[in-house]
Amino acid sequence: MVWILLTLVFLLLRVAPGDPITAALGGQLPPAELARRRHAGGYDRPIIVQYGDYLKQVLSGNLGKTQQGESVTHVVLVNGSATLELSIFALLFALAVGVPIGLRCGRRRDGAFDTFGRLFGIVTYAAPVFFLGLLFQLLFTKRLGWLPPSGQVSATLQAEISDGPHLLFFEALFKGDTNALSDVVKHLIMPAVTLGLLVTGVVIRLVRVNVIQTLKGDYVEAARARGIPERRVVMRHAFHNALVPIITVMGLQAALLLSGSVLTEETFNWPGIGNRLIQYLQNRDYLAVQGIISVFAIVVVVISLLIDIANAILDPRVRY
Amino acid sequence: MLHRRSATFAAASLAVSGLLVLAACGGSVGDKSGSGGKTSTTITVGTTDKVISFDPAGAYDQGSWTIIQNLYQHLMAVAPGESKATPEAAQSCAYTAPTTYTCTMRPGLTFSNGDPLDAAAVAFTFNRIAKINDPKGPSSLVLNIKKATAQGNKVTLTLGTPDQTIPLLLAGGEGALVDPKVFPANKVLDSAKVIGSGPYKLDKYDVGTQVVLSKNPKYKGDDKINNDKVIVSYKQKASDLKLSLENADVDVAYRTLTPTDLKSLASESSKGVKVVYGPGAEIRYIDFDTTLQPGKQKAARQAAAYLIDRQKIATDVYDGQVQPLYSIVPQGLFGATQPFKDEYGTTPDLTKAKAALKAAHISTPVNMTLWWNPDHYGELSSDEYAAIEKQLETGGLFKVTRRSVDWNTYDEDSKKHAYPVYELGWFPDYPDADDYLTPFFPKGGFANTGYDNPALDKLIDQQRGEQDQTKRLALLTQAQQIVAQDVPLIPVWQGKQNAGVRSNITGVQNTFDASFNFRFWLVGKTK
Repeated sequence: MVWILLTLVFLLLRVAPGDPITAALGGQLPPAELARRRHAGGYDRPIIVQYGDYLKQVLSGNLGKTQQGESVTHVVLVNGSATLELSIFALLFALAVGVPIGLRCGRRRDGAFDTFGRLFGIVTYAAPVFFLGLLFQLLFTKRLGWLPPSGQVSATLQAEISDGPHLLFFEALFKGDTNALSDVVKHLIMPAVTLGLLVTGVVIRLVRVNVIQTLKGDYVEAARARGIPERRVVMRHAFHNALVPIITVMGLQAALLLSGSVLTEETFNWPGIGNRLIQYLQNRDYLAVQGIISVFAIVVVVISLLIDIANAILDPRVRY
Repeated sequence: MLHRRSATFAAASLAVSGLLVLAACGGSVGDKSGSGGKTSTTITVGTTDKVISFDPAGAYDQGSWTIIQNLYQHLMAVAPGESKATPEAAQSCAYTAPTTYTCTMRPGLTFSNGDPLDAAAVAFTFNRIAKINDPKGPSSLVLNIKKATAQGNKVTLTLGTPDQTIPLLLAGGEGALVDPKVFPANKVLDSAKVIGSGPYKLDKYDVGTQVVLSKNPKYKGDDKINNDKVIVSYKQKASDLKLSLENADVDVAYRTLTPTDLKSLASESSKGVKVVYGPGAEIRYIDFDTTLQPGKQKAARQAAAYLIDRQKIATDVYDGQVQPLYSIVPQGLFGATQPFKDEYGTTPDLTKAKAALKAAHISTPVNMTLWWNPDHYGELSSDEYAAIEKQLETGGLFKVTRRSVDWNTYDEDSKKHAYPVYELGWFPDYPDADDYLTPFFPKGGFANTGYDNPALDKLIDQQRGEQDQTKRLALLTQAQQIVAQDVPLIPVWQGKQNAGVRSNITGVQNTFDASFNFRFWLVGKTK
């Protein structure tokens, strides 16, 4: 599957108009000079030759270098860590908001709150991520002045951070640096909430459906028949069982998080891998785009595998 | 149940532990200590520019050159507000023959690592650009420098043809001087490892995020540096740049704020921001492919020139942030005239446009497909070309169909004679009228328009090699006149440089001139 994706991305990039030279210097040089530079860069070689070179590189574990000379592996590690941090907090937000809403919706099926919860889930899922992000910036930065508009940390703090992958929130927490922690948290709120809202809708619907189904179960009826209070029936007996399938599905939302992170990172100038992907696409940086897409594909495959394993551990009915 | 809960707990604990270990293994926030109590001035500059390389042999883009011009010294430099180049790393420079340019080096100059900046380093710099010939580098700008040789404290540049623009070329990004002991002779150096002898040294480069420059303690130039550190913060969008300025996340927002943003910022002095302007040399024009209709017919081009209302575009579309342009050479450069004003006036003249078409027996309306680009020339291109369409259709003389396409397709196809009439723009490589003639006209120029006028080509060659400034002025005037008469293109506007700044920031407007060098050392900060 990864090989098919790599090949598709390779072909699509080559078929799309433009090349790295035109993207950088088009509009400044005559056609003959542009053609000379394309030839010098090897971009006019037969596609099959370029494909062969690329596969050789990937199979040797070398994802190549970006046009700026940076190792694609380095980009994946450094910027991937920023995306990981954003995704963690987005997922935590989605669970913190989506689970209680879904639970209440499931308990109060077809009531006013259930209607609100379902509508909320649909709207947050359907609303374009960049649009939500812009609205948040307008409100929290422009109007209220509470939160910074973009970035992972302030520029002066960024200048002090050493090279390499970082999970800035955890590092600041680990060091006990309250100033840095406050700076990181302020920058994290809007992007995490924006991306988290995308997944919240999925969580709400999942929890709701599973709670409704679980509450129909025989053992729940039996618990009610024994006179156990409804709240205890739901929280102690039904809820935990309703959550198990959700863990499985949430893992599969990794792909949704990755795709959502691209636009979220662009909106908030978050230095994640999604943001870099957009820049590389604009610059027609073939190697960088191919390398990043490969990593995305591998991450989704690995997470799916881990979820399958976790599912087998958690649910004794599932055995391979 | 117990088994499941334990497994869940174990998995969660493992995940959290893993994250904490990862956080501990990575670098750390706030690793470097502060400056020990000493107050230092840090300026943060936000920009939407992109960067390719900080090695002068590997860069030919504005984003890279902005940093390069602050990291390195040059043989010659353009002082703020000036248009001529004067010696910087050189003590003196002169033409010793029509194709020989010799400079005597200033003694005692060093790079930031202590290595000497001498004649050998200069020769190495130029020979290296030619040898590496990087696809994204400036080798085409220094093609006329055939050889650079060092002897003692003198460096001699041997030219292919006489060229009076050499002093200005030496002052540009392509003329930045590098250390032969650090920069490889046959390939571009990793941007994070570059060193120079300029006012600043590179402390840190986070690709796509940030560049950190600090004062170079070994700098021996004449420029006074008004700050200690400059952080350049890269943004993806103009809206983010504007918000960052309003939020005081950046002190200066430079390249590129939209005219709408500039207008909004100008009204926000109560929030501690203001907009500063200065002369610029960016131009926009309408290009004709003279191999296609209607551009094939001179009368049609002239009729279009009579109908364009530049002032209306400057006012209605750009809120006065650009100025009408009446020559391919922008105002402020030596030799710039306004022949389009003389030939076609400043307001639309429908009568003369009709007469031009009638005299050439061209029936109206003349069909014209007008191409513009939505992503390379700014968000207001759409409004600009809607206005141009309306102006051309005045009196029913032209029937215009507007089309647009993404930049990569646009740039490629326009050079393959796919677009009869289209939008183009130009940023100067060096602040000289030659940079608005040589790339544009001989044999159709970089845009491959099919226009070729041997008399114009001859004038362009002559002015480039002419040492006598009075004669050169006459040649430039004649060349611009021919362009106005033949109308292979219609110049529309000339941009002003601009920046949004916090109210405690000084010196930004002092750096605005035709050289397009953003001189960080001029920028200061009051309390």
